[in-house]
Amino acid sequence: MDPILDVKNIYTYFYTESGIVEALDGVSFDVMPREPVGIVGESGCGKTVTAKSALRILDKNGRTISGEIIYKGVDLLKLPDMQMRRIRGKEIAMIFQDPMTSLNPIFRIEDQMTEVISLHRKCGKKEAKEIAIEMLDQVGIPDAEKRIIDYPHQFSGGMRQRILIARALSLQPSLLIADEPTTALDVTIQAQVLEIIKEMQKKLGLAMMLITHNLGVVAEITKRVHIFYGGRVVESGLTEDIFLNPKHPYTYALFESIPSLEVDKTRLETIPGMVPRLINPPKGCRFHPRCKFATEVCSRIRPPEIEFGRGRRVACHHFEELNLYIGKDVLREKTVQRDQVKEEV
Amino acid sequence: MASDSFEKFETVDLFSDWDAKTQPIVNLINLKKWFPVSQQALLFSKVVANIKAVDGVNLFLNKGETLGLVGESGCGKSTTARVAVKLEEPTEGSVYFKGIDIFRPMTREEELAIKRQLQMVFQDPYSSLNPRRMILDIIKEPYDIHFPDMTYEEKESRVLEILAKVGLEDYHALRYPHEFSGGQRQRLGIARALAINPEVILLDEPVSALDVSVQAQILNLLHDLQIDFNLTFMFIAHDLSVIKHVSDRVAVMYLGKIMEMCPTGELFRRTAHPYSVSLLSAIPRPDPRIKMDRIILEGDVPSPIDPPTGCPFHPRCYKAQEICSQVTPQLELMDPNHYVSCHFPEK
Repeated sequence: MDPILDVKNIYTYFYTESGIVEALDGVSFDVMPREPVGIVGESGCGKTVTAKSALRILDKNGRTISGEIIYKGVDLLKLPDMQMRRIRGKEIAMIFQDPMTSLNPIFRIEDQMTEVISLHRKCGKKEAKEIAIEMLDQVGIPDAEKRIIDYPHQFSGGMRQRILIARALSLQPSLLIADEPTTALDVTIQAQVLEIIKEMQKKLGLAMMLITHNLGVVAEITKRVHIFYGGRVVESGLTEDIFLNPKHPYTYALFESIPSLEVDKTRLETIPGMVPRLINPPKGCRFHPRCKFATEVCSRIRPPEIEFGRGRRVACHHFEELNLYIGKDVLREKTVQRDQVKEEV
Repeated sequence: MASDSFEKFETVDLFSDWDAKTQPIVNLINLKKWFPVSQQALLFSKVVANIKAVDGVNLFLNKGETLGLVGESGCGKSTTARVAVKLEEPTEGSVYFKGIDIFRPMTREEELAIKRQLQMVFQDPYSSLNPRRMILDIIKEPYDIHFPDMTYEEKESRVLEILAKVGLEDYHALRYPHEFSGGQRQRLGIARALAINPEVILLDEPVSALDVSVQAQILNLLHDLQIDFNLTFMFIAHDLSVIKHVSDRVAVMYLGKIMEMCPTGELFRRTAHPYSVSLLSAIPRPDPRIKMDRIILEGDVPSPIDPPTGCPFHPRCYKAQEICSQVTPQLELMDPNHYVSCHFPEK
């Protein structure tokens, strides 16, 4: 099967007064049809820039200077503007992080939804309204028929995020990009919204790119994950494989640094230093200044991406030697601890 | 420089009656904080409603422990903390610090003596540091207020000492807040609270604005400082996995009230309140093997202007019965150390 979205070696730079920000530095990954894929990383690692590059909605000072973004066999980067407009929303829809600012406060929900629907689906206003009501109903807005004439401020955060999901899905896109869809929400509301996203993804057979820093959300929704660090993909593979057996030192450290509900740790493993600035990024492997396994070669040569197993890719010079150490350690510790917890109960 | 050298500056002896072994260090009793909503009517404005941000909180902190306060946004966690450090006046109820009611009429010396031991770290590391002041001045300010007799050199050397304690360098003292990253700013916030050697620090969401790798650094730092300085923490957060990691006891808050308060392990093993049960089950776990039956709560948190009658959680509760909408359950001792306010707690 061909991937629905195939990102090949893209470089996106931002030109600022203080220098060139190398936001994406040779990023490659793919999304299969009907597959939920996670893009994971800390702030400033290039998650959102990747999505914006694909939709060509970068800020004015940003440009994708090389690479290919193949969507259903067509290179989006070479498409004329007019055709690109038909892709945005209709083919690839996006939900943004902040439900408070993604809706225009001075228009009714009805207007904001029917405008998009009648434009892309080429239908009359009445029909558009029917579609809108049906979509709102599906995402669990009670009394959709009455509430569609309300303004955004009359809805809570969770409800607004549902409206955005409804609006994005009303155009029947093939690919949905969800950029931190639940970050601004409380846990109980997050659980509601995640449930809807999961349900709609299955029902409509959507391919989905879920951008998040929350490892719990990723584990729950996605089948495959790409881990980003400093504008590069450091590791990708099946969610199961990566979560149970991380191979890249960064992925490993990331998992070790989150407090867990299952395992009691007195001290958390930390990653020294902070997320690199991409104006003058580290040479070689971008993680090397913070990596405890780094050697001289890491600071000189960019690590190649090594492929193995079930579509697993890791970009690390020392992955072969670390293989045993990292993998076993995590697995053993977690299983042992979980068994102990069970016994206590 | 030894940290106990502050004693020579103590002028009032307030806490001689307090016994650390039997009494909590901070005790909130039936604390209420209502914010009036007023409407302009001709010339005068009149109060039309009250936002009941904190509505009858009972809570205590024992010396040396970390109490985690968890709840969703708008449930009154931050307001509780702000009242507890005397940044706001309560509408009703009282706050006892080492047996002293901190809202009783008192002299300036007495007030300073209390505030010296009761400090707070704020949530947003970007807006809690004055952008126009140098770090040296920001961290020196507590000394200016509390120890005006101290010489400039002594203040300065203490600032450098405290910066080192939170993992920053000497040269950072001459910089301005915008030159620091989020994690470093949070270290500065902690340094400022720590400067005058308090006994209790209230931490209001100290890690929620940070990336996970930096969050771990701050959590470890807090752990070390607690041991070094023998501190008592109240740690406010909405992330239950962070709460579980840091706290000895947990209080779960909902709509201005405490729903459940118990030792941390107890909360996860023998969850009693239906709200805590739903909250725990709502957290996405970073392990694809865990498949759990999730209790998904219907609807949103009701408005604190017009909270439901009886138990505030009853409209969303899966166990609610008629009595829940009529009688407000009180926070009662269910097992040793396990307080619950529910008519039908889980056994």
